[in-house]
Amino acid sequence: MGKVKIKRKSTLIDMTAMSDVTVLLLTFFMLTSTFLQKEPTTVITPSSVSEIKVPTANVASVLVSPEGKVFIGIAGDADADMADIWGSEATRKQVLEQAASNYKKYTGKDPQITTADLDKFAKINMFGVPMENMHAFLNLSQTKQDEFISDMSNPQVGIPMKEIVYTDADGQKIVTNEFQIWMRAIYNSGNDNLQSAMKSGEGIAVKADRGTPFSTVHQVLDNLQTMKMNRFSVMTALKTEQD
Amino acid sequence: MAQIEQSSGGGKKKKGAQKKMQIHVDFTPMVDMNMLLITFFMLCTTMIKSQTLNISLPSNEKVEAAEQNKAKESEAITLILATERDSQGNVKNGPDGKPLNTIYYYEGKPVVEDADHDGLIDNSNLKVEYFIGNEGGETQGIRNILHNKNKEVLKRIEEQKTKWRNKEISEDEYQALAKKIRNDSTLTRPVVIIKATPEASWESVITALDEMQINQISRYQIDNINQVDSVLILDYLAKNRK
Repeated sequence: MGKVKIKRKSTLIDMTAMSDVTVLLLTFFMLTSTFLQKEPTTVITPSSVSEIKVPTANVASVLVSPEGKVFIGIAGDADADMADIWGSEATRKQVLEQAASNYKKYTGKDPQITTADLDKFAKINMFGVPMENMHAFLNLSQTKQDEFISDMSNPQVGIPMKEIVYTDADGQKIVTNEFQIWMRAIYNSGNDNLQSAMKSGEGIAVKADRGTPFSTVHQVLDNLQTMKMNRFSVMTALKTEQD
Repeated sequence: MAQIEQSSGGGKKKKGAQKKMQIHVDFTPMVDMNMLLITFFMLCTTMIKSQTLNISLPSNEKVEAAEQNKAKESEAITLILATERDSQGNVKNGPDGKPLNTIYYYEGKPVVEDADHDGLIDNSNLKVEYFIGNEGGETQGIRNILHNKNKEVLKRIEEQKTKWRNKEISEDEYQALAKKIRNDSTLTRPVVIIKATPEASWESVITALDEMQINQISRYQIDNINQVDSVLILDYLAKNRK
């Protein structure tokens, strides 16, 4: 008997076309992506019909957690030519330096910020610890920092709004708090574009959760008003037709 | 990965003719890797950029009484926002899944009269509305109240809008005209004062600010709730619980 020959067919599938498609998709996602910024707590912003986009550069964002903790994030100028003086990192360094010196002036306590601390601070997107703990916080490793700042039950997390009363050389009483010291430091950081953005209101973005009580957000708004930063923007999501 | 197959095309081959070689490169690992990268980028991207709403608050300095009266009584409308919360402080949702936001409002000055001294206000001008938005093409709830208050401005802006839709004017021209109409002091325009109870949700405040945009109201401000307002609300609640 003659053997029946079964012809072996190759099972190879030509993946070239598939590869083409995936590369195209990959390119699309790479070009359109903006990475999620690390934030200590996730908030769902309320929706509005406003169509103004959030600026990504030259903005000081104030995040209010539902528990009432306040965090600040600073983004400097996006212009690569100005990165050394007005970029995010340079601006942050300036801010910390100013805030620390003002804190020392108003409270008499030295937060002992070192040059190494400035470099570490420049890398942080969003911060929120009392000034007296800043040095210790910056000395933690990055994972530890994230862990620490995400713990909303910790009383050491969040920028305190406790009143600081300072009597200056002329006997004039100045009532301020750490949040105001930070915001002033950002305003006076030497980044002119950030300053003008803050003046027009685009440079200050307040972000809070839908369910957050108004009294909680109000303390931030009230402080902004006290500093005469009456114009600012609030972050919202785009409203859909059904809403 | 890549193999060269010899074509077994025919039996006879001319001597000297070049052998046809087919080159197969297996792209499967490449596709695998690409898929992984795509997944990574898809998960890391934020496609929707958040929007912002610009607000400007009145300055914190004490405004003189004379200045406050500037807002004509007939034009002023005060909204007081309140949100129902459960014992844990979470926002309560209504049967339709939307948060239970209530808007107490009064026009002009609050009326507090208690002629018979029974502790209840006899004649309060506090009314209640809700955020309903549009239903069946008609404005509903608080939007309807604000819409009627700002009728003159809205009518004029609508006229310009039709022109813009018919391409008679450009969008920039339309925006400029709309802005001019919004700030036209010869028209009757309302002054809206937005207040919120401490437990009112941030969303309700934003929704109220949003209504200002929708109804093209240019004069509005966020103010602090005062005793009279709280009394009016308490009185309203007391009366409606009976």
